[in-house]
Amino acid sequence: MKIVALVIPALFLFSFAYAAAKKVNVYETFIGGVKKAPPLILSVFPYIAAIMMLSTLFEKSGLSAAFLEKAAPFFSAAGVPAELMELILVKPLSGSGATAVLSRVLAAHGTDSYVGRCACVIFGGNETIFYVGAVYFSGVKHKKITAAIFICVISYLLSVIFACFLCRIM
Amino acid sequence: MNVLFTAVFIFSAALLLFSAPQEFLPALLSAASSSATLCVALLSSYAVFCGLSALWEKSGVAAALAKFLRKPLKRLFKSDDPEFAESVCMNISANLLGIGALATPYGVKAAKLLDGSAYIGEKEREYALAMLFTLNAASLQIVPTSVIALRTAAGSAAPSSVVLPILLSSAFFLAIALPCTKLVYGAKLRREEKLRRGKKRKAFGIGSARRAEI
Repeated sequence: MKIVALVIPALFLFSFAYAAAKKVNVYETFIGGVKKAPPLILSVFPYIAAIMMLSTLFEKSGLSAAFLEKAAPFFSAAGVPAELMELILVKPLSGSGATAVLSRVLAAHGTDSYVGRCACVIFGGNETIFYVGAVYFSGVKHKKITAAIFICVISYLLSVIFACFLCRIM
Repeated sequence: MNVLFTAVFIFSAALLLFSAPQEFLPALLSAASSSATLCVALLSSYAVFCGLSALWEKSGVAAALAKFLRKPLKRLFKSDDPEFAESVCMNISANLLGIGALATPYGVKAAKLLDGSAYIGEKEREYALAMLFTLNAASLQIVPTSVIALRTAAGSAAPSSVVLPILLSSAFFLAIALPCTKLVYGAKLRREEKLRRGKKRKAFGIGSARRAEI
């Protein structure tokens, strides 16, 4: 944990020192970089807003609850605890949502229980697929990644099953 | 994405219309406001890391890293654009270090570069974009810092006991997703190449004779 905490400060220190040694105008360059942040956020915002609206509607309409109820038996058959269904559904959509669900699961079942460990592995070993798809390809005109999204969703479900299997044997 | 978005939106909205129509607009508004909050949080971290990455670009760190990883990148993406290689390198390194906030601007830049590039064909572009997506959809990370922090905060006896399963499960994801993406988009690529070669042959008038020989 201690070494991990050092990574980012050391990265900054090294980068600034190296740039200075290379006689780069550190101040102006840093400002130039920061200048790129607001336009980037502006181009990404509509995609984040749309996907968040969609996932809220999905939840509020009861569609997600109905979906979870239908899907739970299949997952249980594959060794995935039913308590994790909400996490499994939220994780590909939203990072902050998944963090909230994970905290709830950890509080309810304990961090070192089977359910708690499975939740951590699913959370840590997977990425917010739809969010990545929406944000990375926000400025792209040729959006032919439907097949890739499909492949990633299937791989995600398989890796969820694999994660629970790992937690059982490790 | 379009079909998925439209279908889920219409279906959810229709259901909500019957069950609780007064909740429709508040739900949308609260989602929009939380996305605005998220964007402000993202803006602050982008400001920090975009500044840092500008230093890397100027001082030549990014270019050196890209040069080092050029061969494997070329094999993975089938693209040889140095600027693209630089962005992808930074994207992958930031992912590995667990700095998602830094990985995203580079990923967006890499996707835009691919999109605007006039040097690669339509299917090559699709192939590289799909590869970029798959790599980023896998949670490549040496140390899953956020999970360890959450576990420590929740009072775990062994916060880092999940590190190895997490690594294995991401590796498992990649082991399925990467070959599948390669297969699907690679097949598209080969089909187009075949077509292009066929056309060229016809244009030179040697295609039919060669094919008859075979």
